[in-house]
Amino acid sequence: MAYHTLLYGFVFLPLCLIAYQMVPQRHRWKVLLAFSWLFFFIISRKLLIYLIGATVITHYTGVRLELLHAHEEKEKEEAAGRKKKEIRLKYQKRSRQVLSLGILMLLGVLIYLKYYNFFIHNIESIIDLSFLPFALHEKNLLLPVGISFYTLQAVGYMADVYWGKIRAEESLGRTALFLSFFPQIMEGPICRYTDTADTLYAGRALTWENLSEGYIRIFWGFFKKLIIADRLSVIVGEIFGNYMEYKGAVVAVGAVAYTVQLYMEFSGCMDMVIGSGQVFGIRLPENFRQPFCARSAAEFWRRWHISLGVWFKTYIFYPVSVSGIVKKWNSFGRKHAGKYLTRLVTSALALFPVWLCNGLWHGARWSYIFYGMYYFTLILAGMAVEPVRDRILALLHIHPDSFGWRTVQIAKTWLIIFTGELFFRADGLRAGLHMFRSIFDGFEIRQLWDGTLFGLGLERADFAVVAAGCIVVAVIGSLNERGLIPRIHSLRLSEPVKWCTFYALIFAVLIFAAYGDGYQAVDLIYAGF
Amino acid sequence: MRKILKRGLLFLLILILLLAGCSAWAKKAVVSKRGSIKGRSRVFADIAAEKENTLDVLVMGDSESFTSISPMQLWRQHGIAAYDCGQSGQKIQETYYMLKTALKTQEPRLVLLEANLMFRNPGRLENLQSAISEAMLYHFPIFRYHNIWKTMFDSSATLPDEYKGFTIRNSVKSYDGDENYMKETSELKKIPEFVDIYLKKIIEICQGKDIPLMLYSAPSPVNYNTAKHNAIQDYADKHNLPYLDLNYKTKELKINWKEDSYDKGDHLNVFGAEKVTAYMGEYLAEKYDLPDHRGEAGYEEWDRLAEMYRQEFLAVKGK
Repeated sequence: MAYHTLLYGFVFLPLCLIAYQMVPQRHRWKVLLAFSWLFFFIISRKLLIYLIGATVITHYTGVRLELLHAHEEKEKEEAAGRKKKEIRLKYQKRSRQVLSLGILMLLGVLIYLKYYNFFIHNIESIIDLSFLPFALHEKNLLLPVGISFYTLQAVGYMADVYWGKIRAEESLGRTALFLSFFPQIMEGPICRYTDTADTLYAGRALTWENLSEGYIRIFWGFFKKLIIADRLSVIVGEIFGNYMEYKGAVVAVGAVAYTVQLYMEFSGCMDMVIGSGQVFGIRLPENFRQPFCARSAAEFWRRWHISLGVWFKTYIFYPVSVSGIVKKWNSFGRKHAGKYLTRLVTSALALFPVWLCNGLWHGARWSYIFYGMYYFTLILAGMAVEPVRDRILALLHIHPDSFGWRTVQIAKTWLIIFTGELFFRADGLRAGLHMFRSIFDGFEIRQLWDGTLFGLGLERADFAVVAAGCIVVAVIGSLNERGLIPRIHSLRLSEPVKWCTFYALIFAVLIFAAYGDGYQAVDLIYAGF
Repeated sequence: MRKILKRGLLFLLILILLLAGCSAWAKKAVVSKRGSIKGRSRVFADIAAEKENTLDVLVMGDSESFTSISPMQLWRQHGIAAYDCGQSGQKIQETYYMLKTALKTQEPRLVLLEANLMFRNPGRLENLQSAISEAMLYHFPIFRYHNIWKTMFDSSATLPDEYKGFTIRNSVKSYDGDENYMKETSELKKIPEFVDIYLKKIIEICQGKDIPLMLYSAPSPVNYNTAKHNAIQDYADKHNLPYLDLNYKTKELKINWKEDSYDKGDHLNVFGAEKVTAYMGEYLAEKYDLPDHRGEAGYEEWDRLAEMYRQEFLAVKGK
């Protein structure tokens, strides 16, 4: 029951809205929790036990950490002078043990379910494991829906309690809702406690404004997913599924089509998710901010899957940046290696685990690890050439913010993105490398208009709809980028204009969506991660 | 809350009116642009475009139905005007709305339901989803025919006429398994709850319009066994429906499993369908009051199609 299905939009969500509105305000969060667990159960059945287990671990780790904070404060109040430092160190050690245990348990489950077979497969291909007294075989392990998302959210919550950024939630039920809120369980966004807690538990009454604007946002998601992404999935499936048969411009088209498909699908799903939250008056953080306007790979990742980037920055990049090894390198580097190299190596030390985890988070495949390392290398290379580039620009009197230079940078970023997504989508690293090489093998630009593309499963009319849909999304994105959407919104659109927008969206989806005859329903891509 | 109800209801009311308007337009458009609808919806569009009150027999069901009864042969031999309304993997919800769609313009004297779909159960959630979507597709056909805008880009891409829902499939892939596949057993295969709900609705409609409903099973070693037969027979007895299982009559029909199937005993090819239709034609002519329309005014298209069918059949038979 994904967010773009009839069952969700016409049965599940309306029933939840009715039940939510019918109960007293203080109990409304319980309705959300009940529906969230029901949603999880409908998709993953008995694997709900994993979510409950993760909730219990997260909640009691938080409670224990809070208790240790309280004890520490109390002891500090009673003690004086040097003793305070000893107390702080004592409790820091204990808290760290509690946090590590909580993280180990949660990540242990994730790693076991998601990576066990990958590790066994790779170990077996290197060494013969038959000498072991017990057999190690690949297992048929079922993944609970959203485990990669709620695990990161849980780890972030525990770390925030550990750092004292937030107070631990006292109610187990409320922690459960924070981790399992149904609109975000499948594909995120990976929320921090401070992002959602306020509105999640408030139990605000439904309002016409929230309902209408939330549903408009949901239909905007349908527009992107059902009109554009699901159409493109036809040619993407054809090219990537039979990659040995294609070369040259067609493979390049496949890479571009997949990138657009992934963006329309993932950001469209986020529109459905954020809209689903909004109908209850719950604010969920944005996960995309016009990623194709990015001028560098690093900026792209600040605009694409933002919540994942923020999570890695907060819980991996910063802790590694202030870790002992990096501090040691910094002091050594400043004395012996110079400012430039010190900064570059420091960044490399902190970025490497971020991009390794980014690749691995997407799944247990070498191509995903390659994908992570690809961005690690490019971002580091970008930092390395920055001083030289700035000097060249100054010499040529090119303003870094001039239109021409921005266009060049955006075009370069597009190339980086398309190439990255080619490897990301390819059926394994070998297939990715083959496809990348095949782009340059017999590249003929005329394949783009000589009718070759019409043999990939989409009719001319479909291409026209995809193009028109992309233009609409680009115009809205451009208005957003210039900050005009909030300004238009603040004009307090009169109700008829809002209604017309909604009807237009509904009918655009109804008429042009890729459903019914000739189209296959396409599952949400990121729900598989 | 009052504001939500007031505005919500007004919004929905306008939406329903707009949907109804578009649906009315779409219904007219598919009739005028016959052959422009492809895929599963084609049967719905084609049955809606049939000349009013011309059909006497509606054949419904999954692919076992439209691969076993050839309306053109029924026409040639008995002058019976039949139409294959089946779809591949037809769900019982689709059968129900197909019947309702057909009955809007037709007054048939018999509904023939191929019973293989009585065991199709994609699961409770999928069934619920189908129940909602099929109801929407029926009440607002704009959902079903939404792709009709594509004809604006390629108006020549219309499909050729079929033989009243039947297509000549002449390829042969023999069934080499046990020809005596209906083994003796008293077991009954369970008929899913959702099927029962919709079958009752179908029975009610037919009773309400005084149309006899008959169940039949096409010969198919892949799909049929005695447990299924027993369950259908039991259901038919309980609801007072006639049931004809042709899996017990393969010898009488002279079905040759080396030649009469196109996919190893799953479905009949045109040669198998001809044998089944010949038998069924005699059976229906004897049991039901079905008029011979041959030569009647208003049925000229049937004669033209029957001739085309004969030519095509002879051509594939001679290969």
